[in-house]
Amino acid sequence: MSATAAASPARPPRPRRSVTVPIGILAFIAITWAALSAEIGIGLDVLEILSDLGNGARIWAEFLEPNWAFLPQTARPMLETVQMAIVASVLGCSLALPVSFLASRVTSPNVVSFVANRGILSVVRAIPDLLYALVFVAAVGIGALAGVLALLLFSIGVTAKLLSETVDGVDAGPIESARASGGGRLQIVRWSVLPQVLPNYVAYSLYVFELNVRASTVIGLVGAGGIGRLLNTERVYFRYENVSVIVIELFLFVFLIELGSIWLRRRLV
Amino acid sequence: MIHFENASVVYPGGVHALKNLTLDIPDGQMMVIVGLSGAGKSTLVRAINGLVPLTSGDVTIDGVSVRHAKPHQLREIRSRIGMIFQTFNLVKRTTVLNNVLMGRFHSSGTLRSVLGLYRPEDTEIAMQALERVGIVDKAYVRASNLSGGQQQRVGIARALAQQPKIILADEPVASLDPPTSHMVMRDLQRINRELGITTIVNLHFLDLARVYGERIIGMRAGELVYDGTAAKADENVFRDIYGRSLTADDVLGEPTTSAAAT
Repeated sequence: MSATAAASPARPPRPRRSVTVPIGILAFIAITWAALSAEIGIGLDVLEILSDLGNGARIWAEFLEPNWAFLPQTARPMLETVQMAIVASVLGCSLALPVSFLASRVTSPNVVSFVANRGILSVVRAIPDLLYALVFVAAVGIGALAGVLALLLFSIGVTAKLLSETVDGVDAGPIESARASGGGRLQIVRWSVLPQVLPNYVAYSLYVFELNVRASTVIGLVGAGGIGRLLNTERVYFRYENVSVIVIELFLFVFLIELGSIWLRRRLV
Repeated sequence: MIHFENASVVYPGGVHALKNLTLDIPDGQMMVIVGLSGAGKSTLVRAINGLVPLTSGDVTIDGVSVRHAKPHQLREIRSRIGMIFQTFNLVKRTTVLNNVLMGRFHSSGTLRSVLGLYRPEDTEIAMQALERVGIVDKAYVRASNLSGGQQQRVGIARALAQQPKIILADEPVASLDPPTSHMVMRDLQRINRELGITTIVNLHFLDLARVYGERIIGMRAGELVYDGTAAKADENVFRDIYGRSLTADDVLGEPTTSAAAT
C-alpha cells in the first residue's frame, strides 16, 4: 500500500498478442467461401446473374409502366394492411413492455423468471412470421384476424428482445437510490427504469410498426389478409403493371412512416 | 441509535471490506468517515440501510436488526434512512419534483406512486424539501438541466422528503468543485443541526472532515483505526489513518482555513 515514488516497479512483459481476432477473420472468410462454392454452397456465379438479367426484360418493361387505373382497387386492401399493422403493433408493444422487464436481469424478480422469460422470447422469435401466418390461417381461417395474430407474436418477440436488452444496460444509480429510499420493485421499474428506456421503447415501437406493414404484405401471400393477398393475385396472373402500383404504394408508405418516426423520436429524446 | 456488533462484510470476490466492526452512533450526531478509497467507507454506510448485506455480525437501528429484517421490514427501515450519493443518482429524464417524490415511495404506497397520483400532502412534503435546499423554483425542470451542485441538492431534497431519522451521504462532494462542495456540506450540517437528523458522511478531504464533522472515524482496510472528535483529529491522526504522509490531494482548500499539507 505504501506508494513511495522512489523506485517504480518493473515494467510488465508485453502480453502475448490475442489470436482470437485473426482466427475469427479466417473463419469468416472460410465460411463465406464455402457458402458460395458450387460443391457445398449455393454456387453463386456473378456472371450468370448478369447474363440472365435480360430474361426478365418483359417483366421489367411492365413494371416500369404502372397501371394507375388500378390504384382505387388497392385502397381497401391497403387500408386493411395498415389496420392490421396498427392493431398488432399497439397490442404487441403494450404486451412487450411488462415482458421486457421480466426478461431483463436488472428488473426481473429472480433468476428463474429471467431465464424463463428470455427462453420463451427466444422461442417466439425463432418461429418466422410466415409460419405463424400459416398456423393462424389454419386455425381461424383466411382473413385479417389470422394476420393480426401472426403479427402480434412477431411484434412481442422483436420489441421485448430489444427493450429487455436496453433495460440490461440502464444506469444503475437511480435504481440504487430508489432502493435506498425503500422503494419496491414496481416503483423502481416505473420511476428509475422506465424514464431511462422510454425513448428507446418509442423508437422500437415505431420500428416494429414499420416491420409490421412490410411483414403484413408477406403474410398476405398465404391468406392472412391485407394488400399481400391482392399482390399475390396480381402476381399469379402476371399483371406486373398492377404489381408495380402496389410496390410503389408500399414503398411510399413505409418511407412516410420512417419520416414520421424520425420526427417523433427527435421530439421525445 | 445505530449499533454495529462485530459486523463483517466479505464480498463474493473474497475482499474483506468490513472486519469485525463494533461501533455506536448516537441519535443526532454528525459523523464523518475518512479513509482511502477501498478502505470500507462505502460498505460501512451501505450496511446501515442493507444495500450491502453483512456476512456476519449485525447492525441494529433502535434495536431492530437490519441483517435479519424481512424484505418488507427492510423497506420500512430504508424509508426512514435518506441517502445521498457521489454521482447524485437522479433520474435525469424526469422532473426534479418527480425525483424528490421518490422519497415518498414508502408512505404513498405502490399503486399511487406507480400511477404518479401522489397525495397532495406528499407533494407538499416534497416541495418543502426543495424549499429547504433552496431550489424549489426548479421543481418542474428536468433533472438533466441542472448543474452538479443543484443536482446534489435535489439528492438532498429527495432524502429529506423521506422525513428520515438518519441521512447517509456517500462521498457527497467528490464530483463537485470546492465552493459547491462547501455549500453542500453546509446544507448537510444545517439539516443535521436544525432537524436533529443523524448524519453520516463519507469524505476523503481531511479539511472538510475536520470542519463539518462532529465526530470523525477513520477506516483502513476494513478496520476502524480512529474514533474521536474532530478537534482531536490532527495531521498525525490522518497520517495514521491513511497509512502514508499527507499530500495536497488530501485537502480541498478554499473558503475555510485548513492545515497546510505536507
